Amino acid sequence: MILESFRRLRECGVLGMNFRNARYIMVYNARSAFPLVDDKVQTKRLAAKFDIPTPEMYAVVENHGRIAKLPAVLEHLHEFVVKPARGSGGSGIILIKGRTAEGFSTQSGKILSREDFNYHIASILSGIFSLEGGEDAAIIEALVHPDPVFNNVTFQQGVPDIRIIVYKGVPVMAMVRLPTEASDGKANLHRGAIGAGIDMGTGATLNAVHRSRIVDTHPDTGYPVSGIRVPHWDKLLTMAAKATEMTGLGYLGADFVLDRDVGPVLLELNARPGLAIQMANQNGLRLRLDKTDDAWSDRFLSAESRVAWAKEQFRQGS
Amino acid sequence: MRRPVLLPAIVLFLLTCLLLLYRVLWLGYPVLPVIQEQVWQLVIHAYLAPNENESTLRLALPLDHAGNMLVEERIVSGSYTFNTVVRGPNRFGVWSGERVGEPEEIQYRAVIHTHPRRGVPNQSPLQSPFPAALSREEQTLAEGVALNWLALGPALRLRAVVATLRGQPEESPQRSELLRRWRLVQQRLEPMDAALALLKASNLPARPVEGLRLTEGVQILTTKWIEVWTEGGWRHLNPETKELYSSPPALLPLAVGGWPAVNITGGKLSDIRWTITRQLMSQWMLFYERIAKSPHFLDRWSLLQLPQEFQGTFRVLLLVPIGALIISVLRNVVGLPTFGIFMPMLIALAFRNTGGLFGVLIFSGVLLIGYAARSFLDKLHLLLIPRLSVILTLVVSCFTLLAVVGNKLGLRELMAVGLIPFVILTMTIERFFILIEESGVGEALRTAVGSIAVSVIAYGIISYEPLQLTFFIYPELILTVAALQILIGRYTGYRLSELYRFKKLGELP
Repeated sequence: MILESFRRLRECGVLGMNFRNARYIMVYNARSAFPLVDDKVQTKRLAAKFDIPTPEMYAVVENHGRIAKLPAVLEHLHEFVVKPARGSGGSGIILIKGRTAEGFSTQSGKILSREDFNYHIASILSGIFSLEGGEDAAIIEALVHPDPVFNNVTFQQGVPDIRIIVYKGVPVMAMVRLPTEASDGKANLHRGAIGAGIDMGTGATLNAVHRSRIVDTHPDTGYPVSGIRVPHWDKLLTMAAKATEMTGLGYLGADFVLDRDVGPVLLELNARPGLAIQMANQNGLRLRLDKTDDAWSDRFLSAESRVAWAKEQFRQGS
Repeated sequence: MRRPVLLPAIVLFLLTCLLLLYRVLWLGYPVLPVIQEQVWQLVIHAYLAPNENESTLRLALPLDHAGNMLVEERIVSGSYTFNTVVRGPNRFGVWSGERVGEPEEIQYRAVIHTHPRRGVPNQSPLQSPFPAALSREEQTLAEGVALNWLALGPALRLRAVVATLRGQPEESPQRSELLRRWRLVQQRLEPMDAALALLKASNLPARPVEGLRLTEGVQILTTKWIEVWTEGGWRHLNPETKELYSSPPALLPLAVGGWPAVNITGGKLSDIRWTITRQLMSQWMLFYERIAKSPHFLDRWSLLQLPQEFQGTFRVLLLVPIGALIISVLRNVVGLPTFGIFMPMLIALAFRNTGGLFGVLIFSGVLLIGYAARSFLDKLHLLLIPRLSVILTLVVSCFTLLAVVGNKLGLRELMAVGLIPFVILTMTIERFFILIEESGVGEALRTAVGSIAVSVIAYGIISYEPLQLTFFIYPELILTVAALQILIGRYTGYRLSELYRFKKLGELP
């Protein structure tokens, strides 16, 4: 029975953790390139060189001494985001929406005193949220105002993001992660956000996965999640495709947010993207990865040509 | 892309085979170093108080008999002179001396190797005469009682003897007078003599034996039984309870054929006791002596040559790679989540001292207390390193408390708590807390249960004694473990947990 399940998954082209690690990450992702994506400060600088927009960075706090100087930097800012440079899984991120007499008000409406705010930055610096637990830096950057396109299927003030898997520069699969009440407004699937697959050809959303169930509607708002056209779809795909040239990583996940004013911005890159995207798309990754390998040729040299190929090959129903 | 992983794996495996073959074929190691054999240690303590005359203590010593084999003997004679004498099938240790003074301790130690299947002499021993306690008429009476079943086979004759001794003979009424008279005789006789007389009358070769029950513990009296030869082999009869021992009996014969196991002339025996303990790791002691003197390379460069106190460490250490292999399998093939990679292995090592049950209880208890404390600390806004230090202090406090409570309750397992790696436990508490914060209670509990499960499995493996012994004698086996680790390293199939996780995808048309 187990062997039968193995065979079925294999036939459906499902990518497993071991196969992903051994055949893609270990082969195509050089260890030396990891710091480029693990440290968001480096990612931002690199992206700027490739004309890929990221949220504007106001300040980097690299040591405890600089916490005291922060008020001067933040003086003119009403809203901003604090995040760890080496954070993972969306932990340690605080969205500040305004100022009060005691300190700041966060996006979820909580009041954060100045002392708590400084403690949070100190926590980030001591590496609590960092991938390896080592020293870290805190980034203060511009708050993204999400494009209203997902308003109906997003819990309150959450920021949906778009994850695109890029293999050898070809965007192969995508999903949009929609915050829920259970995920505390965060766009992380393991916290309870829902992930809706995206038709690579049209940029329209498909069904979504919540935990391990398939859902048609958002659990909080009740609106259908499928059939929403992601704006700037071609631009998104092209930016994702360029991430390979930017980092040298052959297998990566690129996370974007749609800003209502500036359009798609790159949030972060991931050298070990998760496998849940397969559930969101109801589709195995391996089929697409193999297809990419088979079709690999010189015409894949430009990001635009790779995007055109991917849109044709991976559109729904193909 | 195929990586040539098979090559190093095969090379390591062949290397193991080569070394194993060398040991088995050239050095004569047993193919299976752990077999169904048992090794016991017998210690006889005797306190001999001499008087003015010469005093002599004669103790029956264990003999190579009925599948028992003496491996090693040691004697402490104090100021007495010691020698051995052989009487028939028996061997006696004789301590003698002329000394006035305090009682002096005499000690005899032996390691006895019992081998249930080893060739027991299968010819019938000589018929013994009737016990001297029986008069001639009583002998005739016994023969008369036995007359009826002389035509039967030995096993049935033995059954008839036992039934008669118990007073439940299956007999016809015309013999009731004969049996009534025998019962009177039997009441007068020692049970041993009565049984021997009926066995003799039934033509069953039998002999009285004095010895010990082969169980762990201290015995201050010897046990007496009768060995009876039937065609099917030896049976052992308890003359007191008139029951047959199950075969093979858990008995250690000392003196056969009516010789007393303890005999003292002159002095006074103030105390004597026989202590039997099971020797757990003595299997290799059987060839330890030989290896110690061996000129062969692998024998001289062997772990068996290490001083005793370091050998224990290596018996466990050599199994740690297997534990690591199991962790690889459980994580990469099964997909069990654990805190850290080798944390379960370290916990498993600590379980050896606390025992599995106590280990799991202590671990979960301290984890929960630590979690509660960590939640409280979170409000204090401490920096990382001082915060971890506080948790470390808490863990050490818990250990101290447990050890003190354990001492009061007399639970060694609790006192051994200090051997649990406290740094690992501290980090586990921190990770547990962060996992609950980040991924929810469910995921954190799953990981905690996964870690404990892996620890318990690894503990089961490293404390499995036959495996320890096998690896200790054949340390080259870890090369094969390494080969398996390499192969697991290239396992790119699905994890069992993914069958569940991606079940929906497998159901697509």
